[in-house]
Amino acid sequence: MRVRWLDGDLALCEDAAGATHEVAVELIAPVRAGDPVLVHACVAVARLEVERVDEDAGLDAPAARR
Amino acid sequence: MRFVDEFRDAELGRVLAGEILAALQPGRHYKVMEVCGGHTHSIYKYGIDGLLPESVELVHGPGCPVCVIPMGRVDDGIAIARKEGVIFTCFGDMLRVPGSEHTLLDAKAQGADVRMVYSPLDALRIARSNPDREVVFFAIGFETTAPSTALTLQRARAESLRNFSVVCNHVTIVPPLRALLESPDLRLDGFIGPGHVCTVVGARPFHFIPADYRRPVVISGFEPLDLLQSVLMILRQLNEGRCEVENQYTRVVPYEGNLRALEVMAEVFELRPHFEWRGLGFISGSALRLSDAYADLDAERRFEVPGVRVADPKACQCGEVLKGVIKPWQCKVFGTACTPEHAIGTCMVSPEGACAAYYNFGRFAREKEAV
Repeated sequence: MRVRWLDGDLALCEDAAGATHEVAVELIAPVRAGDPVLVHACVAVARLEVERVDEDAGLDAPAARR
Repeated sequence: MRFVDEFRDAELGRVLAGEILAALQPGRHYKVMEVCGGHTHSIYKYGIDGLLPESVELVHGPGCPVCVIPMGRVDDGIAIARKEGVIFTCFGDMLRVPGSEHTLLDAKAQGADVRMVYSPLDALRIARSNPDREVVFFAIGFETTAPSTALTLQRARAESLRNFSVVCNHVTIVPPLRALLESPDLRLDGFIGPGHVCTVVGARPFHFIPADYRRPVVISGFEPLDLLQSVLMILRQLNEGRCEVENQYTRVVPYEGNLRALEVMAEVFELRPHFEWRGLGFISGSALRLSDAYADLDAERRFEVPGVRVADPKACQCGEVLKGVIKPWQCKVFGTACTPEHAIGTCMVSPEGACAAYYNFGRFAREKEAV
């Protein structure tokens, strides 16, 4: 999900289908609008490290660039 | 969608499948357990097993939270739900998990006020709106879900909410893995580590696997390319004679986990001396209960429950499926007496259960193959 709006420890987050959900974000504070977050049971437990995305699937590996 | 589509790229999937094929050592069979039910679901949903060569065998592990809840705990939940004035709340999957005679859905049909929630925070809201009723949340899940229960209990305490309590069935992933590694039934070469659990606990708790059992672990994401990349990383470790904990899911999993979540959990929970897992029996130190500081919010102390151990139905082989000893389709009742609509075993109830995942996605490919 992606954080769209913040009010203290509460965020309105948008999922992949465009639906919005109230999410508690105090376990990953500080959070900013626009941050992609991992949510379980309406509580955010991790913030996605955007700069690591390519690394994860070997997208930066020579084989993948062929 | 960004951060998802990149990991579902078919062309890159074929590149990784080719690299896996190239990494195979002739005559060697690789048996890899995916620990998490979310991985099992993704493997069947995206046909990952069909992309792998026959010599790479994926074995499904015990990481589906609904699947491991024993029948006696369901009976305890039903007993509380039937008490006068109680609003009983739980996740949707839990409603259909069979107890010894009934499910929570049956109890609801028979008049109990059982409500599905998406979060314990929803249950807390219900408690605020119904001050004259006792609101109970039936908490299940591994370390990924436990922080949301812990946070909810902290809020209940901060608000001095007296009509809210929790039946805590949270379990921890390391003890059952150790039990599996000690089991003579199963020979495993490596593990696809549970990515979402690791967002909370980090990578450190898994170091015992290479240290004590000489098996590699790769913490993995849940998209098709994540899983293929993780399999490749495990094969490379095995081929090179390495045994390490590697992190494929670096975009989400920090090495040390989520320290704030761990702090909250440490305040609210303590380890149970032992806990019964469906199909696996009693495992020491494998579950959480509310700490003494939160005892007044513990539904097991607030309400009288049967607390009786109930044996699994004889026809059901969920235990063997959860231990990876048999595949879902090898169970005697799979797809006949036991289907997602009429589940006998828990593995057929949750979408993360190996039987349900295989029934919903995998069986078609296999039936086609058999024809």
